Amino acid sequence: MRKPIWILVVLALGALALAQPKVFKAPNADETPVFGGDFRDWSTSDPKTFNPFVAKETSSTDVIGLMLPVLTGYNPYTLEPEGMLAKSWEVKNNGLTIVFHLREGAKWSDGQPITADDVIFSAKVHADPDVGSNSIKSFEIDGSPIVWTKIDDYTVQADFPKPFAPALIQGWYIVPKHVFEKAYQEGKVTEMWDVGTDPAKIVSGGPFMLDQFVQGERVVLKKNPNFWGVDEKGNQLPYLDRYIITTVGDLNAALAKFLAGELDLFAASNADQVAQIIERIDSGKLDATIFPNADVTTGTNFIFFNWNSDDPWKAQLFRNKKFRQAIAHLMDKDSMIELALGGLGKPQWSPISIPVKQFFTDDVAKFEYNPEKAAQLLAEIGFRNKNAQGVLVDASGRPLEFRLSTNQGNNVREKIAQLFTEDAKKIGVNVKYAPIAFNELVRQILNTRDFDAILIGLTGGIEPAFSRNVWELDGPLHMWNYGPDFQSFEILIDKLMKQGATTLEQSKRREIYVRFQQVVAENLPLTYTVAPAYNPARLNKLGGLFAKDQITSIVGQYPYIETVFVKK
Amino acid sequence: MTAYILRRFLHLIPTFLGATFLAFLVIQLAPGDFITRLELDPSYDRAQIENFRRLFGLDQPFTVQYAKWLSGFMKGYLGLSLSYQTDVWHVLKPRILNSMVLVVSSIVFIYVVSIPIGIYSALRQYSWGDRFWTSFAFFGLAVPNFFFALLMLYFALWLKDTFGHEIFPIGGMRSLYIDGVDFFQAPKWRQWLDVMWHAVLPVIVAGTAGTAGLTRVMRTQMLETKMQDYVRTARAKGLSERVVIYKHILRNAVIPIIASIGFLLPELFGGAGFVEVVMAWPGLTPMILDAIFSIDVYILMGSISISVVLLMIGNLLSDLLLAWVDPRIRYS
Repeated sequence: MRKPIWILVVLALGALALAQPKVFKAPNADETPVFGGDFRDWSTSDPKTFNPFVAKETSSTDVIGLMLPVLTGYNPYTLEPEGMLAKSWEVKNNGLTIVFHLREGAKWSDGQPITADDVIFSAKVHADPDVGSNSIKSFEIDGSPIVWTKIDDYTVQADFPKPFAPALIQGWYIVPKHVFEKAYQEGKVTEMWDVGTDPAKIVSGGPFMLDQFVQGERVVLKKNPNFWGVDEKGNQLPYLDRYIITTVGDLNAALAKFLAGELDLFAASNADQVAQIIERIDSGKLDATIFPNADVTTGTNFIFFNWNSDDPWKAQLFRNKKFRQAIAHLMDKDSMIELALGGLGKPQWSPISIPVKQFFTDDVAKFEYNPEKAAQLLAEIGFRNKNAQGVLVDASGRPLEFRLSTNQGNNVREKIAQLFTEDAKKIGVNVKYAPIAFNELVRQILNTRDFDAILIGLTGGIEPAFSRNVWELDGPLHMWNYGPDFQSFEILIDKLMKQGATTLEQSKRREIYVRFQQVVAENLPLTYTVAPAYNPARLNKLGGLFAKDQITSIVGQYPYIETVFVKK
Repeated sequence: MTAYILRRFLHLIPTFLGATFLAFLVIQLAPGDFITRLELDPSYDRAQIENFRRLFGLDQPFTVQYAKWLSGFMKGYLGLSLSYQTDVWHVLKPRILNSMVLVVSSIVFIYVVSIPIGIYSALRQYSWGDRFWTSFAFFGLAVPNFFFALLMLYFALWLKDTFGHEIFPIGGMRSLYIDGVDFFQAPKWRQWLDVMWHAVLPVIVAGTAGTAGLTRVMRTQMLETKMQDYVRTARAKGLSERVVIYKHILRNAVIPIIASIGFLLPELFGGAGFVEVVMAWPGLTPMILDAIFSIDVYILMGSISISVVLLMIGNLLSDLLLAWVDPRIRYS
């Protein structure tokens, strides 16, 4: 009888020694975590698939991200690269080679080990152009592939064609090879894990696994007992039993659910919603906390002009730096914040979003609201007189007018455009504003090029190198000017972006991107407007959340879902 | 009669082709496609965007796309959804069933409420009761569905505050738990009860406009029939008022309403409208809106073609019903 027990003990000790779980750091060491409970999140639409090679939008990837591991991500406290499934890495060969060491002992929810084979297989499928994975962009730099090779069961190596600063962020989803390989060989990998798949068949390597999916209604995930993460005391994570995402298509309906205490988190999108939440908290009907204006969102709103206009007069005008600076002087950002954002937001002057603290700088040229200055600048470029309609005209008598569009249905942008149009009229700039459908806007920008000016935004991110398609001269989103005539500052931006993407040292990178922001703010290829505020609210029964000063719009209200819990 | 039905069925074929081709054309006429959204994402380059278009078949001329879709439809295959990457029918089916709960209940609600009110209003024309129901009808027709739904949500929230517990749920179709048991583990009848409980407010919202409209139709029909010669004759014969109203007036007044039952068929499969979006009911409407925004051609074509087929069958059914209830109409 004794022998088997001995063997078991030895085996267990061996397994412990082998296991290399990730330690997730809780935001507040004073809280005593509680195991169990439901976390009730919401989403405006259903996941469309559970297959990471198919997913094309956040409603799907938000769910997949709870189930499938990635090699590395951003540390939510420092925003520096952090190991997830990779426990460590070595940078070799001047940054051209990175060796990732995986966590030994990590397992899929079906008990199979997570190994280098899974990583290499996933990389291969993501990089396959015939699969159409959204992550394909993580596997090539300027058309040259990044080569992934297996060193041993728990070591993989990535070889880069050139030094690449964000190389340590490998955020593509790793799938179980033993589940996907057969389908891939048959060319049917995109048919895997669709919304009709039995939840029990979906294998997880993350903190949660799929329990139920009721189309149009909710996704219920349950704790993955095999997850490879522990807290600082060595307790198996996650604390939560279930993670529930309710589909609520209408923002007001979601607010009503939060006000009723049926959702745990909510980010108010305007001052009216903030007021409703505060009123309910104050009346004692909701045990919650809200942080209005805790941060601004990473999204940007800017106006840009068409330097390739068919009308040479317009093209020349739009290429004139003084004209663009005059336009910037016509943007009353305080009124925009007041009227378009309900008083919650910040003015934006340069391309890097304000929350991206490691690169953002406030030390840039600011062309603040000043109609007299604008009029003066316009006079300097020849618009000295007004015609009978009160519109400025140049020496040849041509009135200063152009069309401005934004995408219909975006209330914030429509209001910003209206405010700008009115302010411009006051000094005699005739802006003909008309909102149009988003897809038509995209067509005008990318294909027909028959616009004058457009107000639009781009999804901001944490890594400036990922926006090179906007700033490099041949980038598909170099929207204001597709060449061939480039100005010297555009060539400088192109150079800075290329340097920024290939410089590995953090302090040097910051210098480059600070310079980049200064050049853009001075020359205004894109004229930035205002950034909406991030106003997170939460029920007080949740633990493991950030305190007020730790909240950022990039990370959100908690550093890791693994360490969120429901207080008793 | 058989020949008539057969002829009608043959007519369906060109109508179907014309309607679906037109629908496909209209979808193509709207600027952009499924991939357009990705084009403004700074992290994609041109080659990747082109590759996506190739994989989704969006680089082919639209006539080729339509022909492919049509040949699939003939084999009973509605196509592959672009965003779900799965058979369109798998996506539509659960949504249609969910919507049906609302649609069937609201149809029952509409008929049960509006026919008696219509009769009452017609028999007591210009009385205070009639005036009240007339104002109600105008309110019902005038209030926008989505706004009414939002009012109902806040009404539910208000009820919860006032009584301290949920009288009506705040949106959704199924509770997470029934008496502490996961919804899907609870007994079937409890599940049904829970769904019906969730349906009360959405059905009121979805049914109000229809009730208002039908009340007016019923009232007018009754008034019109009341003036007919045969009604005077019936009265002259000395029939009791009851018999006159129910046998002579009502029976003739409901003919067009019965005939319109056929048109309900496509409605059954068409979703309950915007109330589903506001009240988070997992029906067809939110999904179709999603598909319109993302230009998921095949989801749209799937639901349109189902509606077209049902509309045509419903039309035929209506004509047959009319012949059955109205002795003045014969098709042979």
